[in-house]
Amino acid sequence: MADVHAAGHTILVVGGGISGLTTAVEAAETGYNVLLVERDPHFGGRVAQHNQYFPKLCSPTCGLEINYQRIKNNPRIRYMTLAEVVDIQGAEGDYTVRIRKHPRHVTEACTGCGECSKACTVEVPDPYNFGMNTVKAIRNNHAMAFPVWFHMDPEYAKSEEAQKVAKVCPVGAIQPEMQAEDVTEKVSAVVWATGWKPYDAEKIRPYGFGQYANVTTNMRFERMANVYGPTGGKIVRPSDGKEARNVAMIQCAGSRDHNYLPFCSRICCLASMKQASYVRNQYPDSKVTIFYIDLRAMDRYEAFLQKTRADQGISWIKSKPARIEEDAQGNPVVIGENTLTGERYAMPFDLVVLATGMEPNSAQAGKVPYQGAAYDDYGFVTGGVLSAGCAAYPTDVASSVQSATAMAMKAIQVAGRRG
Amino acid sequence: MAYDLSFAKEVYKKSEMGHWIKMCMQCGVCAGSCPLRAHWQHSPRQLFQMVRAGKKDEVLKSSDMWMCTSCYNCIARCPRNLPITHIIHGLARYAETQGKVDPTQPTRRFAVEVFWENIVSTGRVGEAMLTMRLYFQDGIGAGIQRGLEMKDSALGMLKTRRLNPIPFRGKIKGYDGFKKMLAKAAELEVKLENKA
Amino acid sequence: MSAVKKIGCYFCTGCGIGDALDMKALKAIATKEQKIPVVKEHAFLCGPEGVAMIRNDLENDGVNAVIVAACSHREKTAEFRFDIELFDRVDLRDKCLWMLDVKEGDETAEEDRQMAAEDYLRVGCVKIKKMNVPDPFLHSDGSRDVLVVGGGLAGLTAARDIALAGYQAVVVEKAETLGGKMNNMLKVTPDNRPPYRDLTDNFIGDLISQVEGDNRIKIFKNTVVAKTAGQPGRFDVTLKSGGTPLDIRVGSIVVATGFDLYDPAKLPGNLGYGASPDVVTSAEFEKMAKAGQIVRKSDGKPAKRVAFALCAGQRDKAHLDYCSGACCIYSMKQALYVIEQYKQEASTFLIYQEIRTPGQMEDFYRRAQDEGAVFIKGDVAKVTASSGGGVAVEVKDHLLRGTESLDVDLLVLATGMVTTVDTIDPNVASQIGAARDELPGSVLNLQYRQGPSLPRLGEAGFPDSHFICFPYETRRTGIYVAGPARRPMGIAATMTDASGAALKAIQAVEAVAGGAAVHPRSGDLSFPSYRAEGCTQCKRCTEECPFGAINEDDKGNPLFNPARCRRCSTCMGACPQKIISFANYSVDMISSMIKEIEIPEEDEEKPRILMFACTNDAIPAMDMMGRNRGKISPYIRIIPLRCMGSLSLVWIADAMSKGFDGVLLMGCRHGDDYQCHNVRGSALAEVRLSKVSETLDRLKLESVRVKMMEVNIMDADTLPKAIDAFVEQIAKLKPNPYKGF
Repeated sequence: MADVHAAGHTILVVGGGISGLTTAVEAAETGYNVLLVERDPHFGGRVAQHNQYFPKLCSPTCGLEINYQRIKNNPRIRYMTLAEVVDIQGAEGDYTVRIRKHPRHVTEACTGCGECSKACTVEVPDPYNFGMNTVKAIRNNHAMAFPVWFHMDPEYAKSEEAQKVAKVCPVGAIQPEMQAEDVTEKVSAVVWATGWKPYDAEKIRPYGFGQYANVTTNMRFERMANVYGPTGGKIVRPSDGKEARNVAMIQCAGSRDHNYLPFCSRICCLASMKQASYVRNQYPDSKVTIFYIDLRAMDRYEAFLQKTRADQGISWIKSKPARIEEDAQGNPVVIGENTLTGERYAMPFDLVVLATGMEPNSAQAGKVPYQGAAYDDYGFVTGGVLSAGCAAYPTDVASSVQSATAMAMKAIQVAGRRG
Repeated sequence: MAYDLSFAKEVYKKSEMGHWIKMCMQCGVCAGSCPLRAHWQHSPRQLFQMVRAGKKDEVLKSSDMWMCTSCYNCIARCPRNLPITHIIHGLARYAETQGKVDPTQPTRRFAVEVFWENIVSTGRVGEAMLTMRLYFQDGIGAGIQRGLEMKDSALGMLKTRRLNPIPFRGKIKGYDGFKKMLAKAAELEVKLENKA
Repeated sequence: MSAVKKIGCYFCTGCGIGDALDMKALKAIATKEQKIPVVKEHAFLCGPEGVAMIRNDLENDGVNAVIVAACSHREKTAEFRFDIELFDRVDLRDKCLWMLDVKEGDETAEEDRQMAAEDYLRVGCVKIKKMNVPDPFLHSDGSRDVLVVGGGLAGLTAARDIALAGYQAVVVEKAETLGGKMNNMLKVTPDNRPPYRDLTDNFIGDLISQVEGDNRIKIFKNTVVAKTAGQPGRFDVTLKSGGTPLDIRVGSIVVATGFDLYDPAKLPGNLGYGASPDVVTSAEFEKMAKAGQIVRKSDGKPAKRVAFALCAGQRDKAHLDYCSGACCIYSMKQALYVIEQYKQEASTFLIYQEIRTPGQMEDFYRRAQDEGAVFIKGDVAKVTASSGGGVAVEVKDHLLRGTESLDVDLLVLATGMVTTVDTIDPNVASQIGAARDELPGSVLNLQYRQGPSLPRLGEAGFPDSHFICFPYETRRTGIYVAGPARRPMGIAATMTDASGAALKAIQAVEAVAGGAAVHPRSGDLSFPSYRAEGCTQCKRCTEECPFGAINEDDKGNPLFNPARCRRCSTCMGACPQKIISFANYSVDMISSMIKEIEIPEEDEEKPRILMFACTNDAIPAMDMMGRNRGKISPYIRIIPLRCMGSLSLVWIADAMSKGFDGVLLMGCRHGDDYQCHNVRGSALAEVRLSKVSETLDRLKLESVRVKMMEVNIMDADTLPKAIDAFVEQIAKLKPNPYKGF
């Protein structure tokens, strides 16, 4: 058995969200070498943008921290951030992959002291908060960001100020002239764990996202409820900053819909219940109305549905709203038919949250750069490489971890095979 | 017997686009989208569920299907891609073929009696004649009263050349061909019905 | 390693440390007061030159223990990764410069900051002096084989994957055939595998042949586990089948015993089970479909009209309060059977609360509708047998808002899944040739002091411990539960789950073979040992261990099973005699660290508050606070603990008699939605604290001087305020009279 334990073949894990992190640490702790490649400057992916997990209403940072510690303590894991796999050749057991390392403009010598950010005068829309606020053009995304190294926006790197800011760094880590660079690696297994992105809510025309200020999306709302979000955690109307005490959550905004995403995104019902608790906890006199077709609180999450149902401040309307209008006060008005009573409603709210679904990153720009890759009709990866978590099917954190651990198993079977 | 599927199966086969009714998931978007919803007793999705529940008479005798103005809001929004407008028209037509429709149903009378005869007789819509037939279908007094009520609109339409005042414009070119097409369509329809 | 300890202390003066602190004074403390033989500083210690300096001393100067006095232990871990066990970090940057409320230029405050830095240095020095190199717990007679209990879909999948990874698996199946519930299944739903619209043929036969044909897999049929003793790496398992028990040794265990269906006899009366033979469970229906003919049980006539009542006895507090997650899809599959068999004559109805077809399975929902299955949102109010066979189902139709009567040939009840992680079907007795009372009381029958079963949490009793982030972790090291035994799930999920659990099982045997801990302190080589002569047999350690690692001998002395241990050190905190310790973590070590902190004289009016913080959540939260430059009083001294569970009350007594004015404890959230990575650590600390008043009373001190806070890792922004409140409360009291003693 010792030969298995000592297997030197490397497993490439693409994507450093909860799925990729899990595959990486589980495979590495079983004794295999892992190369973990993340497109963003920091790990954590979508879960790092979440305020809390359902059903425990705990912070994703807690589990991420343990996984980061496991990476920090494990020399078997090599990682690259701001890097993308651009080409895969070969076959299972013997792949050659080309990885493009985008310029961070900050080297790994960075100690995270923050002097550069202080010196920088240019602010840019914050992608971490979906552009709802601005941040310095050189920064790290949040206080728990891992790796801790700062990163500089590529446009800013070209500016004169970038040169000045570079001189502020006490350890000389800032390099505005840094260029993209391709590296080639030999790996024996590839696990694709590139996750998902929120469906573009502007495409759902009848709901007026992008047109009405007080119609937002679940992921934006998640950031709003977070202490490091654009409002420091205060739930307000984007139009006037007033407290949002009467909030609607619309399920299947984009999901289960032939016009948008025909599949069910699985997590939105539960995420909305969780977000209802944010509102209810922040404002005890608040009201939340959840519009739904079917409440999909799968298996043990049923308890969370029952717990949420017990809150008298939350109402439920079985209906897919037809459209949203705006009244003179800037209140979004949700219009539709209650399918249980047959009555039509037109209800004004302070804020409407669209529970937009998951679009696999592999559906578009994040396609697997491998000839043998296979997808289903929706762009989820079904073959050619191993796929974990939401790259394979829309799902929640627990089942992403389940999938990612299973893919670690499939990967070590390949990596452990001796040629 | 409730949920006797023979009616549903009949509709799936015989009513135009009726088979789509199977696919409705009762989300309610159609009802919320319909600008005339206030005038319907049952919304499209309710009608669909009634079809599936075997409520034959309730569906076919309903006035609901005759309310649709073909705005296509429901089609555009239906998450299950149901061609709702067409299904509704199909149901109305099916009800008519089954002789279930209240003969006084105004839309039915307009469509089946006035409009159809008007178009078949010449191959084109004669607006003036159509309007007159519609206004006078309930008697001369009612027709005059209705005409007076609408005279400003009529004059406006005339001025903007939206209404052709000539009551008899004769048949279209190739009227015989048009009649043949209608006959063929009727033949096909019978065939289709027999097949079903 | 018994080599003489030679400590090197390396200061970083970068990141403003050199400007803010008196490095000369710090170095003097290291050299003169703490007698550290090698003391050096560098302006950029984490840079290549700084690291090379340390490496050079390790290689050429005999240094074998290192203190890096720079930033938080969570930063620059790759740079400061040396191949030595005796290593510690003194956090001057984050914990002194970043988070102490000191205005530059305020000399008194700067002096306070310097005092904090000096104290942290002293604490670090004494810690490394007290630290010993762990001697990993290794055994030469260990096994890397994995026992898989259950030969159904989950068990077979796990066994196959274990074999494909190059390990040996032992499958124990209670029945005479492999395959479990899958054997009764006609077709298989696609779940999350394309094409999502189509049923596939039952593949269990292929899987069985694959497993049976693999010489790395040993199979025991008609067999149960009679008992499981030992620990990961060498679990000694007794198998029972007929007469002679068989003893085997395995390294880790996958429990894949699957599910039982909820007893239909217990179902609520309105569902009509028993009212007519034409009311059947979905399992009964599946068997019938597999046999070929879908007919009425009452008279054998074709069953063309079939209704399916979903959530039968599920999502119901009086029965199963959860949803089984798979029944909607399963019932749609069965509706398709009816349609397949009777074509146009078929009428199928699914009576549902919510249709749950997550992910791409929405395609399958559409398929079922497309085939003509009718979905009725409603409740089954009453079921009566019809005189001519079949049943009349009274349905409260939520959408048509009325009660409808549905005459059907068959009513199929979708009953839910009940885990079998701890139950042995008494019918197994005859299969294995044993009397019923000879059956073991639980699936593994663990020979553990804390009982034979896997601990289960929550009302529904799922056998896991952190099901969101770490779903495979149970509270019994080296034992992982897979498939519906762990949580209700469908076919595809079960296979995925089994692969994952199999990986964890392999990971556990590998870790144990190297003497290392598994999650959450993966790789930790330390383990608890105790001084037997001091033991009073109070049994607190054996009771409190969250992982059941400690057995007892007849006299009540603890018997440690190091490979079961997760190194949380709850036992250490539990022990009133302070006799349990780790090579690199002990009661004495923390006590010494506390005593090393200097307490100013009462008239200096500089109170001191000691803070114990859990290293998993509270310390990262503090670090995050520092990174955001949140400020706390410079009178606070922080000592990280592995887990609040290791809290020894003697430390509080130490702190109080030393002259600390207050003690603040920061542990993880506990209760139902606990966050403690060791499940019960912070909860146990709180229980222990309830007894701290005795200590305080003895010292004639106010009880408010000691406070426990539950800290969430994201509390960085609220921490300064919460900590300030405690500091203010302490400031209102008189100084601790024990200062200077």
